Order: sequence, then structure tokens, then C-alpha cells
Amino acid sequence: MKTDLKTNLKSIWARAYVRIVGANREPSWILSETVLPLLNTAAFVYVYKALRAPEEYIGFVILGGAMTAYWMNVLWSMASQFYWEKEMGNLELYLIAPISRMSILLGMAIGGIFYATLRAVVVFVFGSLIFRVNFFISGVVELFLIFILTMIALYGMGMFFASLFMLWGREAWHTSNLFQEPIYLLGGFFFPVKTLGYTVAMFASAIPISLGLDGMRQLCFKTGKTLGFLDVKIEILLLLGLSIFYIWISHYALLFMENLGKKQGRLTLKWQ
Amino acid sequence: MNHAIETLKLNRTFKIKKAKDKPAPSFITALEEVNLTINKGELFGLLGPNGAGKTTLIKILCTLLLPTSGTALVDGVDVVKNPALVRRRINMVSGGEHSGYGILNVRENLWMFSQFYGVPKKIAYERIDTLLKLFGLDEFAKTRIGKLSTGMRQKMNVIRGFVSDPEILFFDEPTLGLDVQIAREVRKYIANWVKNNSQKTVLLTTHYMAEADELCDRIAIIDHGKVIACDSPSNLKKLLRKETIVHIEINLTDENFEHFSQLPGVKKFALEHKHNIGRTELKFILENDSAISQVTQALSSNGSKIISLSKTDPSLEDVFVALVGRSLESEN
Amino acid sequence: MNQNFSTHTKTLKLASWLGWKMESNWADWWIFAVYSVVRPLASSMILVVMYWVIAKSGNAQASGSYNLTFMYLGNAFFMFVGNVLYGVAWTIHEDREHYQMLKYIFISPAKMYFYLFGRGTAKLFITVFAVIATIAFGMLVLKIPIDLSAVNYPMLVLVTGIGLLGIAALGVILAAVSMVTAHHSFYLTEGVAGLFFLVSGAIFPIEVLPGWLQKISLINPLTYWIELARRYITGEKMCQVLSSISNLELFFILTLSTLILVYLSVIIYRFFEHLAVQRGLIDRLTNF
Repeated sequence: MKTDLKTNLKSIWARAYVRIVGANREPSWILSETVLPLLNTAAFVYVYKALRAPEEYIGFVILGGAMTAYWMNVLWSMASQFYWEKEMGNLELYLIAPISRMSILLGMAIGGIFYATLRAVVVFVFGSLIFRVNFFISGVVELFLIFILTMIALYGMGMFFASLFMLWGREAWHTSNLFQEPIYLLGGFFFPVKTLGYTVAMFASAIPISLGLDGMRQLCFKTGKTLGFLDVKIEILLLLGLSIFYIWISHYALLFMENLGKKQGRLTLKWQ
Repeated sequence: MNHAIETLKLNRTFKIKKAKDKPAPSFITALEEVNLTINKGELFGLLGPNGAGKTTLIKILCTLLLPTSGTALVDGVDVVKNPALVRRRINMVSGGEHSGYGILNVRENLWMFSQFYGVPKKIAYERIDTLLKLFGLDEFAKTRIGKLSTGMRQKMNVIRGFVSDPEILFFDEPTLGLDVQIAREVRKYIANWVKNNSQKTVLLTTHYMAEADELCDRIAIIDHGKVIACDSPSNLKKLLRKETIVHIEINLTDENFEHFSQLPGVKKFALEHKHNIGRTELKFILENDSAISQVTQALSSNGSKIISLSKTDPSLEDVFVALVGRSLESEN
Repeated sequence: MNQNFSTHTKTLKLASWLGWKMESNWADWWIFAVYSVVRPLASSMILVVMYWVIAKSGNAQASGSYNLTFMYLGNAFFMFVGNVLYGVAWTIHEDREHYQMLKYIFISPAKMYFYLFGRGTAKLFITVFAVIATIAFGMLVLKIPIDLSAVNYPMLVLVTGIGLLGIAALGVILAAVSMVTAHHSFYLTEGVAGLFFLVSGAIFPIEVLPGWLQKISLINPLTYWIELARRYITGEKMCQVLSSISNLELFFILTLSTLILVYLSVIIYRFFEHLAVQRGLIDRLTNF
């Protein structure tokens, strides 16, 4: 048991190391991961400016724009990374190693969080400064808790997506692609999720970032509470539930899909 | 005592997606009733042409593929019921694989893979450095893998297999595409590893006869998913001790020689076209020496010009011809 | 000369076919059709909800011609930018690292420049379908007022074609940069599309931008393209900054700037191609 844990921890570090070293050796990501996402977020800020929306909406967009970094990281640098690993021949070597598949994914995530956080920080800090966003933090502990739980649930959801790649190649890639924009919409990245109406917002709450963003907005802005969907405490509890649920389901989904892949002989099938 | 590997009536079929003009999907049998027992400390070879089922078998034993039916045990552990336990005991290296990350150098890549097996950092680096030196790659330890030649890359892959110090190591065509010198080095190391570690086992697939002959304690010849013979190379060759083996080279021809197998005294026969040298090689397994004249007469009447004729000791290639009725080299 | 022309045409045709296969043959046609419209519809709905949330709160005081139609049409046409840029530029990483075919295409008599254009064409056709579906959805479901009988179809098609040529040229420039960058530059395409989103007046009028960003918008051919497309659909001048410029003048600016862009793409492509060959990057694998 202890040996297993140690091996898995070593694996997480080894896989994260690739990304950390890679970031140093291939610095071409800096522009595309920092300046350009800020400009994209700014476009949505200007929509609100053109509509002469209340000031807090600018802050909502900046926060949402910063959080897109994690959604992109989960979708493209973790879940879909299995697609590339399959083609390169690494996936089969991960699969024959005596480790959990979640360790590999976690390693990718931890390595990727480095970029994602930098992107998020640039969008958040520079966006807030350029557009003079006023923050009114009403609960630091709750804010920290809600952010951490959102991350756990979101990365858990990413691991669930990753399981698709055990069986499929391009199909799973396109499925990931399909999710990108609808989750921007349902996640309420650029507007309060409450706007979607109670039923849709409840449905959208299955996406951890919907509740996470809503909670963070309530805790960061003066009028956040009035535009909030649910009480922050309830959102924290729901996020806790989502974190457990996604980690649990991704564990079983990875096992199930791996088994299905092995049965159909598609686990290591390249160029699907 | 557990065997290193044991398979019992192992079957694997693949479903081929239904074509629009076909009423139902079709199936390909990759493995059929495979029974194998490999002892600990053995260097065991799986010999067969491309598509014979060698890689399928390795994938099942490495927990990458489920059998359709039958049982496969690795060190006594069922690969279907307990794959996690199997994984602690094994590693695998394939020929021509491109594993690893181009962004990392050779040493870093090997360290990374060692961590998936929980090898302590110090031991991992010691092993890596020793193996890099042994394979003559120490100069390239800090080179990014994208800059390695094919041979160097494959040497690195082979080292990757040994770094985790597995109980059972699977090699799927480990010398594929390597030049003679590098292939020899790789073979030498594999042979020594098994020789110096009495409990370590290697299962190696190859379609190179000489490689199997030189390396393996025992060989299973596999064709169309079936094991058609399994013994030591010398015992396999002894199967033909009473027969006469004749290799005849004639000028390159598209002539149909099928009727030659009907000639009196001809037990099996195979041909191989060698387009690069403009010749066709005919391999005959004959009942005795007297059948040679029958064959040469038939060739003359066929209008073929005999360039050379040699009577040889049986090789694994001849065993394959005798068992399958085709030449393995021509298949590849 | 004739032989060259024939080779280039064949390359374009083949690359388009290949691109289409890659994009579409992973699913049944109806799944593919749904897939092709869900993403663009969701992206449009983000803006619609943003508009509604302000309109509903009674805070919307947008002046001039800025309204949902402006935003919706601009966003629909901007889909071409994101998709065609991606279709062309992503080819480098996809062919180099995924299919590992780039080197073989590179050494063939086919010109990479045309091959890239061809690969983008597949994405273009899918986007045409997505744009039409998005506009239809806007008219039928969201009741966005568009008078189909007032649309200047010939000019709309012509202007769209010219704009797409410019976008494809931008894609080639990005593809050229991708030749010397690592695989993660997938984000580069997204990011560059984001930059144009900001300075093309697609979803908001450029007059709300600070002066220096307005100047950048005015040297961006896409600004003229999107405004012209809107004008030929609605018959109205929608961007106030450009309201003094006639359709013909806009058309001239668009054509000229597109030609410059195409010329630049050839030069930039050659430069990066040379750099990639010099550094031995054509067949490298950088994914991590």
C-alpha cells in the first residue's frame, strides 16, 4: 500500500516534470498563454462597455476570462493529451506500468497548472488594472475554499473526459472540441449563471466552474450577492459533492473505458 | 513453482467494422487456442511472419488487450483478473517505438519512465548511467531524444525496458530496422541479462530466424494465430534430420511452381523471389537425396536456368517451410 | 507554367479532400451535422445572453446602431476567422506530430503553401454551413430582424470570398510561425483569433475602444470585411467610425489589404519555412 502510494507520487512528479521542463525549454507559449488571452477577454469587456453595462459586469468578465485558463488546461492539456500520448506510443507504456491512470493525469494537470495559473494571473491582474475593476472581498476563507474545490471538481471532470480516449481517438477529440463553447455558455464565464434561469442554472451546476465562478463573484464584488445563483455556503457544499463525484466517477470511467478498449482492441490503436 | 508465462487455450478475435456492402461485420482470428508454458530464467522466442499474432500475444500478456477466451498467467497471476499485479512484474519494449518526450534528453526520459515503477531516484540514475555506458550512449545522455539516430533511439528504448529491473521483459521485434552492429549489441545484452539473472525471463518476438536461433532457449513458431511447434532451436531442427534440404537458385521468374510440391520425393517446398539480385530461390524439403534429380529435371523441363544448388543442414527457416509450406523470409 | 498550375490545383483539391475526411469521417453524417452547429450556436448564445442580461436589467443604453443584430451578425461572420485560421495553421502541428506526415508532404512536388490553403478549405465549408445555421437560428428563434429580400447576395458572396482569402493568408502566416514553435501553439491560433476579435469590430463597435486600439482596428482588413458583410445583409451602415466611407470605398480597401496580406503571407511563409529547414524542425516531435 505504502509502496503503491510512493510509486504513484513519483509518477505524478515525473509526468509533471516533463511539462515544467518543457515550459522552460520551449518558451514560445508565453505570448499565446499570457498576452493573447487577455486580449480575448478584453473583447468581452468591450461588449459590456458598448452596452453601457454596470461596472461589476467588467469584473465578472475578468474573473471569467481568468478562469477560462483552467478550463482550457483541463480540456486540452489533460483530457485530450491522452490522444497525443496514444499516437506517440507513450500511452501503452503508462498503461503497462503499475500505477493509477489518475496519477499520470494528475501529473499532466500539475505540470499544466503552471501555465494555466500564469495565464489566469495575467488576465486577472492586468485585466483588473487596465479596466479598473473594484473588488470587495467578503470572505477570504470561503473564496479560497471555493476556488480549491472548483479546481478539484474541474480536474476530476477532466479525468472523466480523458477516459473517452481509452476507446476513441478523433471521436473523443471532437467531443472535447464540442464541449468547449457550450461550457463557456453554461459555465457563465462572461455573465452570472443566474441569468440562464433557475432550471438551466441548476443543470449547468453540474459543471464545477459554474458554481465556482458564481461563488467567487459573490465573494469578490459588492453587488455579487444580488446576482448570485445560490447561497455561497450551499455552493461550497455542492462543489464538495461534485469534487467527490467527479473523482469517483472518473476513477471508474477510466477503468471501465480501459477495459472496453482492451476488449475491443482499441486501447492502443493509433491514427483512429 | 509458478511458470513465468502460461497460456491455456488463448483465443483473440477482432471484429472488423461492417462494410456498407456486407450484411454483417467480419472477424479476424489473431490467436487460436494458444497453449504455451515459459519457465523462469528462459529466453523464449516467438517466431512467425508479420500478422501471425505475435504482437497480439504480447499485448495480452502486458495487460493491454483482453483475450476473447482462454487464460493467460504471468508469474502465476491472471492478466485479466489481476492486471495491476502483473504490471509490477513486467516491462515491454517494441521495435521502432517513439516513446518519450522530445523536449527531454535521454537521461531525463529514462528517469521519467523509471519513476512509473517507483525506482528510487539514486538507484534509477545509477542504473541509467551504467546502461547508457554499456550501450555506448553515455555521450548522448544529455541529448534531446529528437536528435538521436534510429539506432540510438532503439538502444534507449531497450534501456528503458531494463531500468525498472522487471521479472519478465517482453521484446516485440527489438531489433527491427537496426543495423547489424547495433542489433548484435542489443541481442548480446538481452542474452547476458537472462544468463546472469536466473529468475529473469524474456519473451521475444521476431521474424528474424537468425536472431531467434542465436538468442532463444526455446522457440514457438506461430502462424495465423496458431502455435505450430515449440521446442529448442536444435530440437526443432532435428525434426528435419531425416530429410534432405536443398536450396536452388534460378533466374528470376514469375513461373508458377505449385506443381513442384506434387513431385515424387518432395515433402514441402517454398519459393522466394529476390528481386534485388534477379534470382528466385527455391527451398525443398525432400524425403531423401534421390529426389534431387527429380527436382532438377523438372526445373530443366520448365526452362529454368539453375544458378546454384546446395544441400544444407536444416535451419529454422527450413523448419518453418516444412511446417507451414511457405518461406518465412518471403512473407516478410 | 501550365504544369505548375495543374500541380497546384491538384494539391488544393487533394488537401481539401484530405481535410474534409479528417474533419468529418469520424462520425455518422447527422452526428457530424449536429456537432458542426452546436459549438457556433453556443458561442453566439454567450453574446446573446450578455446582451439580454443588460437589456433585461434596463441598463442597456447602447447608442447608435449597436444592437443585437450588429453583435449577432458580426459574431457569425467572425466564426470564419476562428475556424479557417485554425484549419490552416493547425495543419502544421497535426501533420507534423500527430500523423507525422509533414515531412512527406514537404518533400513532394506539392507546394506547402497551396496544401495549407486546401486543408483550410474543408474547415471553410463546414463553417459556411455553421454560419448559415447560426443566422437562421437567430432569425427564427431569437427573432433577429433580417430582411432576406434586402440582402445584396452577389456582393455578399464576393466580399465573403475576398475576406476568406485574407483569413486563409493569415492562417498561412500562423502556420509558418507554427513550423518553428512547439505543439502547444494550438493556443496561438486561439489567441490570435482573440486578438482579431478585439480589433475587428465584430461584436462591438470600434468606437468604444481606446484611440490606439481604434487605429489598430482601422489597419485590420477584417474590420472592413465584417462591416461590409453586415451592410450587404442589412443594407445599413453599422459601424459609426466607418459611416463616412461608402461601400465601394470599403470594398476597395478590403481588396487592396487582402492582396497585401496574401503577398505578406508568401514572404513570411518562405522565411519560416527556410528557418524550419535550417534548424531541422520539419519532423520534430514537441508534444509534452
